[in-house]
Amino acid sequence: MVERESNGLARRWARLHSNEFGLLLTILVVVALTALFSSAYRDKPLQNLQEILRQTSLLGVFALGAAIVIISGGIDLSSGSVIAFSGAICASIMLALAPVDEAGNPMTQNLGAGIYTAAIAGTLAVGFLIGTLHAWLITAVGLPPFVATLASLVGLRSLARVFVQEVTASLTTTGKTTQIYIYDENFSKLGTTWWIPLCIFCGLSFLAWLLMSRTVVGRHLYAMGGNEAAARLSGIRTDHLKWLAYCLGAMTASIAGILYTAEVGTSYPQVQGLGYELNAIAAAVVGGCSLQGGVGLISGTMLGVLFLRVVIDSVAKIIKFGSADDYEGIIVGFLVVLAVAFNELRQARSGTGKQFFPGALGIVAIGVLALLSGTLATITVGKQAGMVVFGVLIVLGAASRFRQRVSRQHPPQTG
Amino acid sequence: MAESPLIAIQQVSKRYPGVLALSDITLDILPGELLAIVGENGAGKSTLMKILAGVITDYEGQITLRGNTVRFASTREAENLGISIIHQELNLVEQLSASANIFLGRELRRPSGFLDQQAMDRRAGKLLAELECHIDPSELVRRLRVGDQQLIEIAKALSLETGILIMDEPTSALTESEVARLFRVIQRLRERGVTILYISHKMDEVFRLADRIAVLRDGRLVEVLARRETDARKVTHLMVGRELAETDVSSPRSVGDVVLEVDRLWLSWPRHARGWRLEDISFALRRGEILGIAGLMGAGRTELLECLFGASDEVPSGRIVLDGQEVTFSHPAEAREAGVALVTEDRKRLGLFAEMTVGQNITLCTLEQSLRGGLLSRGLEQQHAEGIVSRLGVKTACVEAPITSLSGGNQQKTIIGRWLLTQPKVLLLDDPTRGVDVGAKAELYRLMDQLCRQGLGIIVTSSELPELLTLCDRILVLCEGRQTGEFSRRDATEQRIMEAATMRRVSASACAV
Repeated sequence: MVERESNGLARRWARLHSNEFGLLLTILVVVALTALFSSAYRDKPLQNLQEILRQTSLLGVFALGAAIVIISGGIDLSSGSVIAFSGAICASIMLALAPVDEAGNPMTQNLGAGIYTAAIAGTLAVGFLIGTLHAWLITAVGLPPFVATLASLVGLRSLARVFVQEVTASLTTTGKTTQIYIYDENFSKLGTTWWIPLCIFCGLSFLAWLLMSRTVVGRHLYAMGGNEAAARLSGIRTDHLKWLAYCLGAMTASIAGILYTAEVGTSYPQVQGLGYELNAIAAAVVGGCSLQGGVGLISGTMLGVLFLRVVIDSVAKIIKFGSADDYEGIIVGFLVVLAVAFNELRQARSGTGKQFFPGALGIVAIGVLALLSGTLATITVGKQAGMVVFGVLIVLGAASRFRQRVSRQHPPQTG
Repeated sequence: MAESPLIAIQQVSKRYPGVLALSDITLDILPGELLAIVGENGAGKSTLMKILAGVITDYEGQITLRGNTVRFASTREAENLGISIIHQELNLVEQLSASANIFLGRELRRPSGFLDQQAMDRRAGKLLAELECHIDPSELVRRLRVGDQQLIEIAKALSLETGILIMDEPTSALTESEVARLFRVIQRLRERGVTILYISHKMDEVFRLADRIAVLRDGRLVEVLARRETDARKVTHLMVGRELAETDVSSPRSVGDVVLEVDRLWLSWPRHARGWRLEDISFALRRGEILGIAGLMGAGRTELLECLFGASDEVPSGRIVLDGQEVTFSHPAEAREAGVALVTEDRKRLGLFAEMTVGQNITLCTLEQSLRGGLLSRGLEQQHAEGIVSRLGVKTACVEAPITSLSGGNQQKTIIGRWLLTQPKVLLLDDPTRGVDVGAKAELYRLMDQLCRQGLGIIVTSSELPELLTLCDRILVLCEGRQTGEFSRRDATEQRIMEAATMRRVSASACAV
């Protein structure tokens, strides 16, 4: 009896975490393939590992927030701009509190613990305020989360740019600039020493796991994401929960903003965190969070982030030329489509003989896919490879359509 | 059988993962007849009709239409061959006008290629007039009453020159006069030679309309009877496979003191001609008493329960006294803390958390009881959930099973269990047996009776009068938001309740026209 029960429990655990096992396995496969095709992993394994973990942690910090918002049934599109805005706030506080030299310019080489604390606390407070604004727009005004956070995505970056110019104009003698430099070395270690972001990420992940899996509030967040009307009618204060979720989303982005600013020693809102919101959402989705809400795990999100960074890094290593940043978008876009499509297909496994290339849409889609792959192959390998890939995909697509037609026993009747 | 069948269903089966929804059905449908299809919930009536109408496309077996084997890949193909279905949940685009819905997908166009709105409105108006539906064809569907919406579906079917019309429980949301109108329409359709398949579980309708009655049970065709040669008792017997067990909940309960008192409750209805959802409702509920609330669709039953639970959109005026204390709830959380529980009408949309397990669904409202050191304890949670599962007899493999693996009746018990853990003083049940089969209904009745005897005050609504008559100590009748009758168990009859439930105000009905 006991044995049967523990057996069932193990099976349940395995079922619950099948997504994570899959991700872990894929990560290992990607790493092995990269090691096979590129010497970088073989020559400097430790350095590469540290760099991947550092990058993973920076992305992971605010992916946690994105995951919590998604599980609760919402979406936060603002994190990229919140990162830029928070960086600007953090750097500005440091600039304002730093000692001044004879010319009247702040000296940011040696800031000390008091200033760090003030800057970090101030930035987190701003994150809290942004989250509160989102929650108010969504619950009290009744905006869809997409609209409320899209407005912040556009607005906050712009505000940060103006803000940085005003701050530099009033605090320095050099006049308006678009960036704030922080020369303090200890501060920059926050973003550059590999284990510091890692520790922050792991600590936050533990707290997020505790919140989502072991507290009443966490369970209520899942319930609200799964069925908001039923949650309200169960006596759950959904407005309060949304406030919490969006604050966590914004505050984790604020922490990431501090770390990214520390990493480069600069607050440069024009480019900082640009487009990162989609990376965070992608990591959560790849990690198993459903955009419909109510589904997802913190452990899955952690692995989703790691997976995303490993693939980006591996492509950069294998391609060897061009900057990895340029390819990041392609990879993220591809992985999101793949992960969500995979989940959809797994759920709709009823064997209804789904057609991937129906009608005229199918024909054009085959062309689009072949064109895309051919272009990518041309850029990364060469013209001939591009032609070959293009041709192969056209043939494969045609074959798939042909099979569809054969498998349909009864041709559609035309009325 | 002299006539050759219009549709011959031959050995049709439909399998869902783990369930055989239809098993080897063979049934002939004759031209021009009205065949009633009856059976309990889950007997397979709707599944069979969906196959006929091209909604469900993968099944085993064969269907012949006028002698030709057919296999529809979509509803469109079925419609082209003259088969239309009117679903129980109507299938209209509420943001579009009546005529746009009637011609949806087959819009009339001018030679220039643009829509010919006038022609569509004109033809829609003619079709609707034939159906005694006197509405403006350019009116948006969401502004229309359910009965008129249904006639739009019928008009759509007529515009397709449908020869076979499938109606899935068409009267479930209609008022009496709308039902009478629908029956006249059905009569007219039959005169035009339309074959009608009529799904229902209401015996009076079936015996009034049908030529033949096909009884389904557990996915099998039990028997096809000619109406003249049978009676309601026989058909009911075939449907449930046994005589309807009179649930013994009638032995007198001892009623305690007043636990809930409602005094002059008004609930406004902004931007609506009527102005009030509820007008001047007053009643009292005692401990150990089941109070039934009867009324047609839209009478305000759900709204009344929502008011008592702090879940209504507007704030009601009037006094609500719970256990001697006047209360005003602005959120269900406050009602829950004060000891009021609401089991909602629409289980799937407003009650269940489909992604969660049975256990998580049970403990959701009372997670505080499962805390150990501020954190949730799996063990405590499981203990509470298992307590409810055994107390209410929920049939589930274990508390870790997904809630969606349970039958409707057991899901309902799970939700009642969720609320029992909050130790309520008053339990509000909004149509708790909706979508629950007969066997499970009897179990729910016994459960309510048992809870009531433990001193709980229960308010229950139902769309089925016999249910209220068996269960309740008193029955309150609502009509268009007003309290139009109150009957004790002794005085209550279906006749009297229906009279009260249709006691329209003269001015109101004048407004409606």
